[in-house]
Amino acid sequence: GVAPLGPISLGQDKVYQLRMLESAYKHMPEPSDSEKVRPYLQRTPYPTPPYHPQHSPSHMDSYDFYQRLSIETLFFIFYYMEGTKAQYMAAKALKKLSWRFHTKYMTWFQRLEEPNTITDDYEMGTYIYFDYEKWAQRKKDGFTFEYRYLEDRDLP
Amino acid sequence: PGTTGELEDPPGLYEKVEYLLSEWVRHFHQPGLLRDGDKIYAAYVARLQQQGILKNDDLIQRFFRISMEMCVELCYRTLNDPVNGGMSRPKCYHTMDAFVKLVVVLVRYSGESSNTLAKVNLLNKVLLTVTQVLLADHEKRQVEFHQLPYHRFFIMILNDLCSPDPVFDAINFPVLQCFCTAYHMVRPSKAPGFAYTWLELISHRVFVSKLLLQTPQQKGWPLFHQLLIDVFKFLSPFLRNAELVKPTQTLYKGTLRVLLVLLHDFPEFLCDYHFSFCDVIPPNCIQMRNLILSAFPRNMRLPDPFTPNLKVELLPDIQNAPRILPAYIQLIIPDLKKNLDNYIKTRAPVTFLQELRGHLQISSEPGKQYNSSLINALVLYVGTQAIAFIHSKSGTPSPTTIAHTAHMDIFQHLVVDLDTEGRYLFLNAIANQLRYPNSHTHFFSCALLSLFAETNHEAIQEQITRVLLERLIVNRPHPWGLLITFIDLIKNPTYNFWKHDFVHCAPEIERLFESVAKSCMQKQPT
Repeated sequence: GVAPLGPISLGQDKVYQLRMLESAYKHMPEPSDSEKVRPYLQRTPYPTPPYHPQHSPSHMDSYDFYQRLSIETLFFIFYYMEGTKAQYMAAKALKKLSWRFHTKYMTWFQRLEEPNTITDDYEMGTYIYFDYEKWAQRKKDGFTFEYRYLEDRDLP
Repeated sequence: PGTTGELEDPPGLYEKVEYLLSEWVRHFHQPGLLRDGDKIYAAYVARLQQQGILKNDDLIQRFFRISMEMCVELCYRTLNDPVNGGMSRPKCYHTMDAFVKLVVVLVRYSGESSNTLAKVNLLNKVLLTVTQVLLADHEKRQVEFHQLPYHRFFIMILNDLCSPDPVFDAINFPVLQCFCTAYHMVRPSKAPGFAYTWLELISHRVFVSKLLLQTPQQKGWPLFHQLLIDVFKFLSPFLRNAELVKPTQTLYKGTLRVLLVLLHDFPEFLCDYHFSFCDVIPPNCIQMRNLILSAFPRNMRLPDPFTPNLKVELLPDIQNAPRILPAYIQLIIPDLKKNLDNYIKTRAPVTFLQELRGHLQISSEPGKQYNSSLINALVLYVGTQAIAFIHSKSGTPSPTTIAHTAHMDIFQHLVVDLDTEGRYLFLNAIANQLRYPNSHTHFFSCALLSLFAETNHEAIQEQITRVLLERLIVNRPHPWGLLITFIDLIKNPTYNFWKHDFVHCAPEIERLFESVAKSCMQKQPT
């Protein structure tokens, strides 16, 4: 049989252990319990149909993958997935597309044309930026981008 | 310092802690913490000092105990409140995360910046206090006990202490030690209502990689070994009876997954501790044990066991002894050990063999007659002595060189003298050594086959076959040495395997042997 040594009777302590395990089974730990709080995109587990993909594609955590995403998607990841590896990858991909992050306005800017003025401390010209409140790209003429607000770390 | 909870708290302390804690939770969630964190922390530590909380160890411990109890109470209120809907978990996180940060800050700023001992001591105290709160809560609430607040506490504090930071990097190993001690104190047999969370905690990627990979000199290995033993010991009686209710099944499945990760990422860890793990895993958990026995060092290439005319004795790895941790010889009672050594040396007196069974037997109750740990230790010890003996004669173990030695006397005697139950445990103890190519695998493979060949008892041969076969009919993985031994048994004409009655005892058994033979050999046996 499957119990070659034969069953042994479970003592009082084992019966108690089993009862406690059964009650713990009713409220199992959830994945979010061991993660940082996600303020915008909370996990909401739901039984999805089996013909629907259950897992994300395997290469989804690669830089290559992020480079193929649309700008909108990258902005979404950047603003709604704070403090994750995904945010880091999105920022890296945006930088590759010549977007620059302004640390005072917490906003991404891209030169629309060569700046009119470039000094050691700032540059001035026409930019497009991503307005995270209206959720759209906008144009700004005669904007002064002070370099002290430029986030210019090299992301490894 | 008084044990927590034993003496009554000084009057007014509870209210003070309540006030200070709620102040901290507000601080923690205010915007700008990221930028001005250090300033806010320093101010708060100064405030605790000024309130007299940090005056002595006893007060500090009381402060942490009361705070933890308050956080836990709040979580219970939130979780049991039907109005909360989907928001109850985030609310619990809100409180617990703030408390965790407070602990981390206090640990970080305790003592001078270079005083690592002060930091570790404080952490140790906090963790022990929290385990006491957990155990008391578990005892008090019984089936109403909730794992969440403790889960959040342990995992978040570990994450924080393991994130890159020069202060914490310096105390990495002692921090892990503190966690292992705390986890061991709330192990499943002590707090079964915490078992699922506990398994999540000990198998968390950050914890495992810190312990097994990033701690130099494998200093974390014995600590992790202890925690795995804890879960095996807890599961053991339920698995042994093979009556698995859903909750036990789930914990069992989780444990299998952890083993699978270890087999894939840290096979050397499973190799080193295989003896100790097999000692606590019940004999009927074949797949679980196979996972452990299938582990082999990553730099090793195993020859395909199905290669025709594979000469195992010519493999260079066969000369090397595997590492066995921790020391198992202590498991043999000193008196028995003395007589055993004497017998191995002099092959006398014969009374030693006659008395051996009595040493291994501990009760007359069927199913637990034998001290299986002692059998396991004895088998391994005699085997290693035999290998040393054969090497000292500049030979290698083979059916000829192992024959007619004191060591094989012992094995021969046991296999005949023990009853079915004892023999089952004894043969399992041998089969547990059939792993990757090494000197133990080779010796015990020869020993098992010679036990098969040297007996006239069909029952013994049947039992040897049973022990091998039952480990092969389960799903993969299968240990290399086990396959080698079984293939030799059915292919080598010396053993007359196909002539035995038990091979043909029932049509389904016969079919089973044929299908195993087919997968083990290219040609059908005739």
